[in-house]
Amino acid sequence: MLKVTKEDANGTVLFRLSGSIEENVNFEQQFGSITGEVCLNCKDIPRINSVGVKSWIKFFQAAQAKGLKLQFIECSTAIVEQINLISNFVCGGSVESIYAPYSCPSCKAEQVGLFMCENIKKLNFELPDLDCIKCGKKAVFDDIPEEYFSFLMR
Amino acid sequence: MLISSNSVDQQFATQAALASGLTLLVVTDPKEAAKLIEAETPRCILCDVSTHELYVALENALQETVGLFSDKLNSNSIHFIGDGDLGQASYLVQSPIFGNFMIRPEKSIDEAGQHYGRVLKGSLQDRAFGVRNFLKSNAKTQTIKLHITTQKQDAVEAVRSYLVAAKFNNRMAMVIANGVDEILMNAMFDAPTDELGKALYQHTARSASIKLEGKHAVEMEVGYDGQYVAVAAIDHFGSLDKSRLLSLISKVYRDSEYKVRNQGAGAGLGLASVFQSGGSLVFVSEARVRTEVILFFKRTDNYKEFKAQFKFIGTQLYF
Repeated sequence: MLKVTKEDANGTVLFRLSGSIEENVNFEQQFGSITGEVCLNCKDIPRINSVGVKSWIKFFQAAQAKGLKLQFIECSTAIVEQINLISNFVCGGSVESIYAPYSCPSCKAEQVGLFMCENIKKLNFELPDLDCIKCGKKAVFDDIPEEYFSFLMR
Repeated sequence: MLISSNSVDQQFATQAALASGLTLLVVTDPKEAAKLIEAETPRCILCDVSTHELYVALENALQETVGLFSDKLNSNSIHFIGDGDLGQASYLVQSPIFGNFMIRPEKSIDEAGQHYGRVLKGSLQDRAFGVRNFLKSNAKTQTIKLHITTQKQDAVEAVRSYLVAAKFNNRMAMVIANGVDEILMNAMFDAPTDELGKALYQHTARSASIKLEGKHAVEMEVGYDGQYVAVAAIDHFGSLDKSRLLSLISKVYRDSEYKVRNQGAGAGLGLASVFQSGGSLVFVSEARVRTEVILFFKRTDNYKEFKAQFKFIGTQLYF
């Protein structure tokens, strides 16, 4: 179940979203009336189902029509997948940073690495290896770059 | 029967035939294949239709020799082989003989062939209900009855936890759980129809609390054979509409905008997202009796392989 908390981050309104987004979500109730520029932190959204996607687009498209400008930061892998699958998922907003999935070929541990979208483009979509948080060996990017970064290649 | 001159298809079909216990006959010319189908109906027909030209050649040959609507052609036993997602092959979605579709595997061809062979064998049952039909003989299965629609999220979480315990990585388990969410939601809200076939809950919010009793009962069956997991959502309406299903499953919103539909409570996104996330789907339905929608996913060591796994869509419809 989604939880939304509001913070003021250096003059920008920041919403932190956490939990799964599904049929019980009520964005109108959880966000209230939002205008101007807002930043959405999507780090802790592990899953979103089709009805959640529909509610998301309906709410943020209506807000966009009233002049809302959206900035997405720290998008989880579940959110990145939706951004890739549905061209209007970000409702005219900008995606600043995303989590990239990693796995360790040695111990099979999973982890994520946070990257600015601008830097991913500069790296030509070839992300560096990370140190495995479990065994310390090299963890490698674990997805298909042409698919995971396809929204940046559009 | 395999109708293809592609060496990958031949390798794949050899393994599929071995796993299903069928004898393989390879034909490269669609006209010759059509004559053989007319003379002696094969139990399964796998055909390379990866280009529009190949499909047209096959359709013309069948139409001229057997007739597209002949009793000798049962779409349940026709298996199209393509190169990309169904959304890239609208000619297949519109085909009157569409029954099953697979994306030609690029890697692990023998293994994909063996897996599909088990699916073929399962599909040849009189009624291909039950996930056990499609998995290895050592598969363990479990059936869970849902009593009310609001139990769906608990069922989804139970599958996710089970998969994590079975050594699927967290992201794979989450993707499969999301697929289970979609097929359960369809079984609860899209399958129920009245006697005239009109959807009962088209305008009902998917968060509504509805008792799942009698004909509205919904079950979930989970099976795992150590390599493949299969999860089925089962309803008792048998209301599956193949053309609507294919239209939904082949939808791609990567380039075109998703427009929120106001006329229904569903999103129309679920099945397409399951297929695009790496899963395979088999729809088994007996009209007005029962529908089982089965999801298949292979457990892999990493997500990259998981996403690129061999994929197929099958329909086994009985009237």
